[in-house]
Amino acid sequence: MRLKSKAADARAAGWSLTRRLALLYTVSAALILLLASQFWYLSLVDSLEREDVDFLADRIMTVRKLLQNPAHDVLLQQQIALEGVSSYVIEPHYTRLLREGHIVLESPGMPAILPPSLFPVPASITAVPKGVKQWRSPAGRAYMLMAAEAQSVGSTAPMLIQVALDMTDEGAIVASYRMRLVVGLLLGVLAAAGAGTAITRRGLKPILDIADAATQISATHLHRRIGRAGRPDELVDLAAAFDRMLDRLEESFTRLSNFSADLAHELRTPINNLVGEAEVALERVREPEDYRRVLESSLEEYARLSRTIDSLLFLARADNEEVPIDRKRFDARSEIAPVMEFYEPMAVDAGITMRCEGDAYLNADAILFRRALSNLLSNALRHTPSGGRVVVRATVAAGGWAEIAVADTGIGIAPEHLPRIFDRFYRADPARSTSPGNVGLGLALVKSIMELHGGTSHITSVLGEGTRAVLRFPGSARTRDIRGSVSEVAVA
Amino acid sequence: MRILIVEDEQKTAAYLSRGLAEAGFAPDVAQDGDEGLHLAQQGHYDLIILDVMLPRRDGLSVLNSLRRSGSDVPVLFLSARDTVTDRVKGLELGADDYLVKPFAFSELLARVRTLLRRGSARQPDILVIGDMEIDLLGNKVKRGGERIELTPKEFLLLSLLARRQGEVVSRAFIAEQVWDMNFDGDMNVIDVVVRRLRQKIDERFPAKLIRTVRGRGYLLEADNAPKK
Repeated sequence: MRLKSKAADARAAGWSLTRRLALLYTVSAALILLLASQFWYLSLVDSLEREDVDFLADRIMTVRKLLQNPAHDVLLQQQIALEGVSSYVIEPHYTRLLREGHIVLESPGMPAILPPSLFPVPASITAVPKGVKQWRSPAGRAYMLMAAEAQSVGSTAPMLIQVALDMTDEGAIVASYRMRLVVGLLLGVLAAAGAGTAITRRGLKPILDIADAATQISATHLHRRIGRAGRPDELVDLAAAFDRMLDRLEESFTRLSNFSADLAHELRTPINNLVGEAEVALERVREPEDYRRVLESSLEEYARLSRTIDSLLFLARADNEEVPIDRKRFDARSEIAPVMEFYEPMAVDAGITMRCEGDAYLNADAILFRRALSNLLSNALRHTPSGGRVVVRATVAAGGWAEIAVADTGIGIAPEHLPRIFDRFYRADPARSTSPGNVGLGLALVKSIMELHGGTSHITSVLGEGTRAVLRFPGSARTRDIRGSVSEVAVA
Repeated sequence: MRILIVEDEQKTAAYLSRGLAEAGFAPDVAQDGDEGLHLAQQGHYDLIILDVMLPRRDGLSVLNSLRRSGSDVPVLFLSARDTVTDRVKGLELGADDYLVKPFAFSELLARVRTLLRRGSARQPDILVIGDMEIDLLGNKVKRGGERIELTPKEFLLLSLLARRQGEVVSRAFIAEQVWDMNFDGDMNVIDVVVRRLRQKIDERFPAKLIRTVRGRGYLLEADNAPKK
């Protein structure tokens, strides 16, 4: 039983909305029609029966009245003699009068079919007769029987009146009425099913329209919108939500295709170099040292490609929020120190002093934090001339935020580059793109890492004076709900 | 030392096999998981290099079956997919190390040697390369009998190169071992430190011990006749 209903559920789950709604309409219409026809049928049967009872009671009252006056005896006899004859207007009926068990008078044909013993207990002399008995003869005819006592003139013993009504034809009428009701019911259910389907279709059309509109929107027609004009009130929100989703989708799509174009360009150059070098090397027979040089140069190029791919993979995962964040609370200085220690030789070599100031606690992934800081420090050291200064400063900002600022006294970044400085593959100085390790993704990584933390990153710079990059970490764990607004760029 | 390489990518298998043979190992190659598992259970290998994505039976399944059959041969996993779950799964199943493609061959070689060395005899306390002597316990370096003062990082770098003398050590490996850098820092730093180390160790001597291998990393070698 349980299995059965589950199977039914599964089947219903696969049904279309139109089918489900139409089925519900039909079932409810069928129930209503069934109840209504039942009511009509029963009230017909009931009123017919009441009419018959009234008819028989009326007969008894008439006979009682006639019995009170001896002058009416002839009339009574005539009437009873006429009964039992079929008439088109009234169904056959019979009357019998008995006194002390002896038949005084009875309609012709009555004794054979309806013996006196069949009749119910008679109503008393003064009572209005009500009780009836229904009886079916062996020949298949249905009768309604009634009996009552009456005062008879000239005798102390009461007269017993027995009346009967042949209801057979009435049964046929009821049966045919029942038949018509059933046919009407079936037709009604069919009509309800049709109407239900039509109404549902019409009702669901706005939804189908939206689906149609959505189908029209493909990758090549991403600018199209569903629009709210002409939509029913209930669906305006849905259409609007769809459109907002499409806005975001289109934005990501555009960003992705720009990114793909950049990526293709970025990969094309090194691959072109690799192919060219290999081809030229194979052009004629060379010294082993020459081959070695080509292979070594290729290795450098491969390493660069590898780094690019690694960074892109990280960015792609961060975009999809697939980078797991192992958030811990730690003293910022404890994580700044090893990164600064790593860069120390480079700073000493370049004649730059490095310093760490301030103090703050961070709630972040330590490895990702190191990675972000490493990129900023690398940039700062690269763009600061000898005798310069790089300062890493950790401060506690309002609202539990912690700020890590990397400030240098370097060459600075021109204002026109600042808005795009965090873009992937964007380089303020195209000439620097040849330096190994710098594939133009460093700041994009920083931004990505900060977004993963729900923090912000921004850079201010004055040409010829220096650059200041600031990472702001939220105090408590935050999700990326403010994505898109987390990176801001300001020009000092 | 016998090494089994289970790798379906023919080019990869070919260069790994060749490189390991030239480094003095005896490599065999299996092209799919079933063959790999069969060979691993039959042959007596000292190390298995196992690709994760394999036809018929993937690397994780091979490793699982191998460990269940009671083998504790060191396994180095190779994977093109650098997802944390992959890595964790591999290590949980009993892989000894994990390398993500693309990797430098020198890196692979270094890890292979580390895995094979595990459990074997201890390193000597004093390493001798040519006329240079490195006291690993005393943190002292002498060359030509003369004491050379090094910063702690320089000493770490030199002993790393010395322990792997004759092998190319990549910049990434140096950064990881010397600075404990588990993130991609600017590799120019390594060049700077090596340059300073050279100034102290090699500058005043005619025989140069530290060699730059372009595109790959650094090499410490006593017999420093340039190989052509």
